[in-house]
Amino acid sequence: MGFEKCHPAVNFIYFAAVIAGMILFQHPVFLLISFSCAFLYSVKRGGWKVLVFDLILLPLVAAFALYYSSYNHFGVTVLRQNFIGNNMTLESLVYGFVLGFVAAGVMIWFSCVHSVFTTDKVVYLFGKVSPRLSLFLTILLRMVPRIKKEAKRINMAQRGIGRGVNQGNVFQRLRNCVRIFSMLITWTIESLTVSSESMRSRGSSLRGRKAFSIYRFDNRDRAYVIGVFASLTVILMAVMLKQTDILYDPRIVMTPITSMSYLFYAGYTVFCLMPLGLELWTEYRFWKARKAL
Amino acid sequence: MAHFEIKDLNFSYPTAKGKKSLDGVSLSIERGEYVVLCGKSGSGKTTLLRQLKSVLAPHGKKTGEILFNGVPLEKVSQRDQSAKIGYVMQNPDDQIVTDKVWHELAFGLESLGCDQKTMRARVAEMACYFGIQDWFHRDVANLSGGQKQLLNLASIMAMQPEVLILDEPTSQLDPIAASDFLNTVRKINIELGTTVIITEHRLEDIFPYADRAIVMDGGKVIANDTPRNIGRLLYEQQNDMFAAMPTPVRVFYGANGAGDCPLTVREGRNWLSREFTAEPVHKAMPVQTLPDEIENPALSLKELWFRYEKDSPDVLRGVSAEVPAGSLYAIVGGNGAGKSTTLKAICGICRPYRGKVKIFGKPVEKYKSAELFGGCLAMLPQDPKSLFVKKTVREDLAEMTKDEKRIAEVAETCQITSLLDSHPYDLSGGEQQRAALAKVLLTQPKLLLLDEPTKGIDSFFKEKLAGILCKLKESGITIVMVSHDVEFCAKYADMVSMFFDGQMLTTDTPRRFFGNNSFYTTAANRMSRHVFSMAVTAEDVVALYRQNKEG
Repeated sequence: MGFEKCHPAVNFIYFAAVIAGMILFQHPVFLLISFSCAFLYSVKRGGWKVLVFDLILLPLVAAFALYYSSYNHFGVTVLRQNFIGNNMTLESLVYGFVLGFVAAGVMIWFSCVHSVFTTDKVVYLFGKVSPRLSLFLTILLRMVPRIKKEAKRINMAQRGIGRGVNQGNVFQRLRNCVRIFSMLITWTIESLTVSSESMRSRGSSLRGRKAFSIYRFDNRDRAYVIGVFASLTVILMAVMLKQTDILYDPRIVMTPITSMSYLFYAGYTVFCLMPLGLELWTEYRFWKARKAL
Repeated sequence: MAHFEIKDLNFSYPTAKGKKSLDGVSLSIERGEYVVLCGKSGSGKTTLLRQLKSVLAPHGKKTGEILFNGVPLEKVSQRDQSAKIGYVMQNPDDQIVTDKVWHELAFGLESLGCDQKTMRARVAEMACYFGIQDWFHRDVANLSGGQKQLLNLASIMAMQPEVLILDEPTSQLDPIAASDFLNTVRKINIELGTTVIITEHRLEDIFPYADRAIVMDGGKVIANDTPRNIGRLLYEQQNDMFAAMPTPVRVFYGANGAGDCPLTVREGRNWLSREFTAEPVHKAMPVQTLPDEIENPALSLKELWFRYEKDSPDVLRGVSAEVPAGSLYAIVGGNGAGKSTTLKAICGICRPYRGKVKIFGKPVEKYKSAELFGGCLAMLPQDPKSLFVKKTVREDLAEMTKDEKRIAEVAETCQITSLLDSHPYDLSGGEQQRAALAKVLLTQPKLLLLDEPTKGIDSFFKEKLAGILCKLKESGITIVMVSHDVEFCAKYADMVSMFFDGQMLTTDTPRRFFGNNSFYTTAANRMSRHVFSMAVTAEDVVALYRQNKEG
């Protein structure tokens, strides 16, 4: 009911911006804001299965930080020496955590992208760039599952005369596999020939192809885009004021946190929470409308 | 001015060595006409239809002229041809290009470069007209065959064509979906005035409504008349195509009827009522009864229960049957009732979780795979193409056995000797079916399982197939067949079982089985049941008619 019902272009702009932010900002506060928002949003969309996935990422982040700091020895704050005599430094450990969180955060954001972006939307966005490209993509999307299904069917037919992939000794099985594969190729070519005839018969080779879409850009999409750009402006100000900058080598150096900084943190939080907020808001509205009956 | 005017059209394929696929075809098709084109496979129907749209016309030597709205077809622009001449092909799956229903509906409009607003309106219109709105957002992969073909039709109608050309559109569909589809085509013709040119095997559903029937043979038009008159022409010529006519037509001419030829079951009933005002003397066909006990059945199924997934519903719910050796056993029933699954359970591809399958008295799981599939049983799948591996039929057969003599024998039995050097994909549906049957027979099965053997085959090839099956039966092979084709089962099976709701409900000899049904039965029976009883094929009705009339 939430973000996935927005126009694909809005989805695309938002995710591009939020993932770029995740990668670019190595400032721990910004990092943690984006990471936790991604965490919340993915759990909201995917339920407990995603929660487990997200939680598994956390120890992996720690493991990566340990691994990283035991191979990189920059920094001045020595914590201890490891068993081969190399310095373990605070800076490299922290930087290891930062890299780990960036990677984990990007993965979580991508899991959200995956649940919001259906293939339709991808095809639509490609269609905006080039209708032919999107046509190619949609043919591909149809062919791949069809080939799988046909492989199953051929195997079934072959099993009926004792020549399936799991019948006979190892060599026979191998040969049966090769046979089925070769049939599959013939079938695919044959089937694509008919498809291309059907396409040409409906004028696919004419000039001036347009892409049809079932999406419309409504007021909510406009409001959302305005929100995205307003918060992006705030973030851009933070970048210009060097609020997002941080150095880890040789020692951790960052712009001092002032009361202004909290404004930027708030702006970034709003930005990262936008899809979750929209989802909750719609659910609230729905709940209220139901209650009013 | 005629909509399509074909003047002395000749065509030969480059590989045909001068043999003409179309030979002096001259036709004129009027605006808004509903024309059915019939003929055996390979008589040039598809070749002719493809000439009517330039992008689909095959390469070859062509003479003569085709005028579309009075303009030579090659002068009509691609854009006009794409929009105005709609073409629906045989295979519902291959024609669909995109992965979503809504996208497929808009495909033609996208090509024409319509603006979003027009596209939206037209797509909505089509979805409503064809009743697609419920599955508008679905993946094409989740549709049934009938829905897919309807989608193909709708996506072509979205371009608002003037002519609709359909090349055996229902050959891959089950009877119910097929008659739904044909009704939609008829509705388009009546309500929108779209000219329809169609080739079809199922003439029963088309003949009563068509304005004209054109019969082709060997690339020539041999008859071109109203459906009501065409039967007489074919009967007098003793043409093979007569066997494809609707049952009432065959009965009428078979019985030397006088007056107007009936086309529908209703007309056939009325005609019989007029002929037999009093109770006929010879009322019923002789029936055979089933033996109480079948000794040494070739196949016995005892209360099979099966489901595909742990949580999915049962597909087989206590299937029991006994098939006597050397018989042709037919299983009929609706779509998705579990008929094909039963066949899979018989050959051990599916393992029922309850119940027993015994083949020649031995449980199927006791057989070794090599023993079972080498010389005991074999299954002919629904789509014969999925059996062919090689470039020629001969190589394909040689894959099964090294014995040249046996290959020659089997090829002879299946009547494919002349096709041995062709590519299996180049054969017609009926020929492919026979080539696949030959391949299956080379495993020397004693029990042969056939899944929808008559699907997509015209009546002429069906008779050939029936002849082959009878021969196999004589040589001692037991045949179990799953089919939608009640006419075929009534004519050739020894026993018929009704499959419903995961069970075999009733089993009987075809005459008693179909003779006692009043809905799920043959056209001949529906047409004659008020006068005769137990007459289930056109031949039965003709025989009773003659007995009564000739004393």
